[in-house]
This record gives sequence, C-alpha cells and structure tokens, in this order.
Amino acid sequence: MAVTVSIPTILRTHTGGEKSVEAKGTTVLEVIDDVESRHAGIKGRLVKEEKLHRFINVYVNDEDVRFAGGLEAEVKDGDTLTILPAVAGG
Amino acid sequence: MARFESLLDALGGTPLVGLPRLSPTHDVRLWAKLEDRNPTGSIKDRPALAMIEAAEREGKLRRGSTILEPTSGNTGISLAMAAKLKGYGLVCVMPENTSTERKQLLQAYGARIVFSPAAGGSNEAVRRAKELAKANPEWVMLYQYGNPANADAHYRGTGPELLKDLPTLTHFVGGLGTTGTLVGVGRYLHEAKPDVQIIAAEPRYGELVYGLRNLDEGFVPELYDASVLNGRYSVGAYDALRRTRELLEHEGIFAGISTGAVLHAALAVAEKAAARGEQADVAFVVADAGWKYLSTGAYAGSLDEAAERLDGQLWA
Repeated sequence: MAVTVSIPTILRTHTGGEKSVEAKGTTVLEVIDDVESRHAGIKGRLVKEEKLHRFINVYVNDEDVRFAGGLEAEVKDGDTLTILPAVAGG
Repeated sequence: MARFESLLDALGGTPLVGLPRLSPTHDVRLWAKLEDRNPTGSIKDRPALAMIEAAEREGKLRRGSTILEPTSGNTGISLAMAAKLKGYGLVCVMPENTSTERKQLLQAYGARIVFSPAAGGSNEAVRRAKELAKANPEWVMLYQYGNPANADAHYRGTGPELLKDLPTLTHFVGGLGTTGTLVGVGRYLHEAKPDVQIIAAEPRYGELVYGLRNLDEGFVPELYDASVLNGRYSVGAYDALRRTRELLEHEGIFAGISTGAVLHAALAVAEKAAARGEQADVAFVVADAGWKYLSTGAYAGSLDEAAERLDGQLWA
C-alpha cells in the first residue's frame, strides 16, 4: 500500500503528464519529498520557505492539511493526497 | 413577521429546519438553514444588498449608476433584482460554463452579461471585471471577494439568526466561495460562543476550472481569514450530487448542488462527533434551491452520468 498523490494539470510537466503518482511517507512533507525524489522540481513549486505555497492547497482524503498540521499533517497508507491550485469560487 | 413593505425588506429571517432522518444519532443533530427562502432564492441576497447599501452610504452609488460585478450567478441575480428596484444598471462578468438558468434569470432582470472563458473559471471573471473597471471608471465594482460588507451581512444577519434559533449550536458548516459567509458567521459565533467549530466545504471542480497558466495566477479572496476556520473540506461533484439527492430523498429538501457539498462536510463532522460519543448540533447552509440546476441533469439518471455532465461546469 502507498499514498496516491493527485497532480493538477499545471504541475504535470514534472510527472511526465501523469495525473497521479504513488508515493510513501507518514507526513505530507515526507510524501512530497518522496515524489520529489522521482519527479525533480515539483517540491519547489509546492513549498516556499518551509510552508505550502500561498496558491497551493493540499488535501488528505478531502481535508485541507492547513487545518491538520500543515506539512506535518499525518498521512496513512491508502490515503489520497490531492494537490490543487487556489482558484476563485463564488 | 410575514408582511413587508417591499421585496427587499423580506430579506433574511430564514427558517432553520431539523433533519431527523439524516442526523446520525439523537445526540448528534443536523440543521439546515434554508437560505433559498430569500427574495431571489439564494443566500447571496444578503451580501448583495449589504454591498449596495454600503456603496450608497459612501456616496459611490447614485440613481442611474452602473454596477459591475464578477459572479458565477447567484450574486449577479441578487444584484440584478436590487438594481432594478433601486434604479441602477448592472453589468455581470460571468464564466460561460455556468447553468443556462442563471443566464436566463440575469437577462430577465435586465442585467448585461459579459462572458469570460470557461477555462480558469471565476479567476478569469475576476480578471476580466478588473479590466472593465479600469476601462470604465464611472462604473461601480462592488467586488464581493474583497468587500467587507459581504462578510458583515453574515456577521449581522446569518450568524445571530443561527444562534438565536439554535443556542446549543456546536458546529457551523458553510460553502467556501467568496468566503463571506464563513468569515462573517464565523467571526460572530467565535465572539458569541467561542467553542463553536467553523467548517468550510469548497467545491472541487473538473480540471478545466483549475487551468491556470502559472501558479501566480492563483486566487485567494481578500476577505479570506483562515483564523476563523477550524477545518476545510474539498468536495467533488459526485459526492455533492449524492448528498443533494439524499437531502431530497430523506428530508424532502430540494437544494442546489453546492448544498450537497456542504451537507457532505456536515455529515463528516457529525459522524466524527457521534464516533466520539459527543453531543452536537451541526447547522449548515442551504445556499439555494435546485431550480437553477435542473437543466444540468443533476437530479436524474445515474450519479456517475450526472457527475460527468457537471465536469467542467461551475456547479457551486
């Protein structure tokens, strides 16, 4: 088992066009580091000064990690980590 | 009170109804605030009228003025009604991937619609509206994403109404768009009853809507204040549709699709409370009714097909 990471269109240049990739890790940061080890450059788009980029939202099973510990938020085997750019609603 | 001097005076004071069949246990109860019972049928009547009245007080709006607003629909419809009654013109910048009923309603009220491209969703509508504001300095852009009167309408109205009707409230769940509802209600409740949890449900659209050219085009509304929130859920079209249909099937409430997303988050919160053996009263917002979404096929056929039809649409 692993974590499924869903990649938004704008970041698929780093994953060779793949919509989702598998990764390992027990926190959001560990998962991002694991993805970075195979898809170099993606971490720099997601993380700025050890925090999530202002216009990036990350969800573990649909819950925004900013309210669950941020980059240290817990991730378990079988979880889905969804990355999305922040866009306007309303 | 059921008698009003005009339609504008009939704003707010919406019913809060219990959901005995969808509530997880006797100790964890769900309550729906029926914001479709507002003058044009959505919660947006509150911020729309509040923004217009604020602009009137500030002397920005005078009889004959033209209002400009980026909107995916409901705010535009609310503004169009108020503008008609108050003698203003209205130009709405609306993404082309919104339901046909929204367009028809805006046109019926006499609003002018400028369409923005589907790709990029409301981001593009905001960008286009800002360009139009620059090119037409005599127009008055109310700008729901950054206008404090938006959140203030909920701070003064929606929030106090909720607590008055449900003093035992423990959780409030609302849709996250302009963030006005959650920030306004959240601020009021945190002051009046600090233990109340404020939970956001944001729609997760199809890929088309997230089609930014680069990340710096991302958008967080100026009104957004994360410190007011205790949690935030992202809900896709399939779950939103599933819950919208459950609300109709089990409780008889015919709501719009965004309400399904909000109910999905409300149920997640309620089930967590039930699992911990807590007592909870979870109130959530029914932002509008289902009429404006009938043409999308949201209420018929299989959920998979209905979700597929919504892909690329701004359904909230």
